[in-house]
Amino acid sequence: MLTTEETRRYSRQMQLPEIGLKGQTKIAAGRVVIAGLGGLGSIGAYYLAAAGVGHLRLVDRDRVALDNLNRQILHASADIGRSKAASAAEKLTRLNPHCRFEAIETDIGYGNVEALIEGCNVIFDATDNRATRQVLNSASVKKRVPFVYGGISGWEGTASTFIPGQTPCFSCLFPPMAETVEAEPPPALGPTAGLVASLQCLDTLRLLIGLVPRLAGRLQQFSGSTMEFRTLPIDRNPHCPVCSRLQCPSSP
Amino acid sequence: MSTTVRITVNGLPEDVPFFATLADLIDLFQEMDRDLIVEHNGRFVFPQGYAATKVADGDHVEFIHPNFGG
Repeated sequence: MLTTEETRRYSRQMQLPEIGLKGQTKIAAGRVVIAGLGGLGSIGAYYLAAAGVGHLRLVDRDRVALDNLNRQILHASADIGRSKAASAAEKLTRLNPHCRFEAIETDIGYGNVEALIEGCNVIFDATDNRATRQVLNSASVKKRVPFVYGGISGWEGTASTFIPGQTPCFSCLFPPMAETVEAEPPPALGPTAGLVASLQCLDTLRLLIGLVPRLAGRLQQFSGSTMEFRTLPIDRNPHCPVCSRLQCPSSP
Repeated sequence: MSTTVRITVNGLPEDVPFFATLADLIDLFQEMDRDLIVEHNGRFVFPQGYAATKVADGDHVEFIHPNFGG
């Protein structure tokens, strides 16, 4: 049940026929885990909180550093040295006191990932490496929780939504392999992160409302150097070590 | 008979050997990247299909490097 204040706050998005009171109520009942509160997570958390997602679990192991601030706009100069999760929860509470924010300062690994996604409707991937995405993907497939992937590097960005048992999973495209040395962090530009995270937010909201996620079954590439989007249809990998045993739900 | 075929690679015309496979093209264009994604005529090709997929005159191939930063 939305209060009068909430109805007014969300009125502009409730004008959309796909949202309305019914959709907004679903958004308010939504629980999303945001894995990473850097460039993608800053934008993802801000838009999802502003849109009224009822419960956001904010997970990041890091503390705010000076060279984060060109793009991680949840955090400010005064936050340097603070936990990103705590910094995020503070800003987001200021933005929308109607949402519940859970700040968790931890690394994401096979030992805790299932607890971290417990009860969530969507995994919003805002991590900065391939290995953590493999961890999140395994839990997504095991617990059948949709996984909204986004990644950036300089001017370029990639996004896709993985629905366990229906679409490819992250490991269908990028098979798990031993990580040898930690890759050098790629260049990172704020607007690229903003754009990719915004695509992820749109699909997250679509999932919460019950609409078809538009990044499902496609890999969306964006290049800020040519201002071009490329869409590549993708299929499940029959040899995927993570999801190939999951059956597609039978058609009604 | 020509020993090459004209295809489009990453948007540019290229003459490549007749009977070249996607695996050959990855070598030829030095696109080795463990996370490489290959699009062949608008279709995603799994790595297990690279060696068996031959290109023909007029084909389009794109090498896509996905992004993992956040």
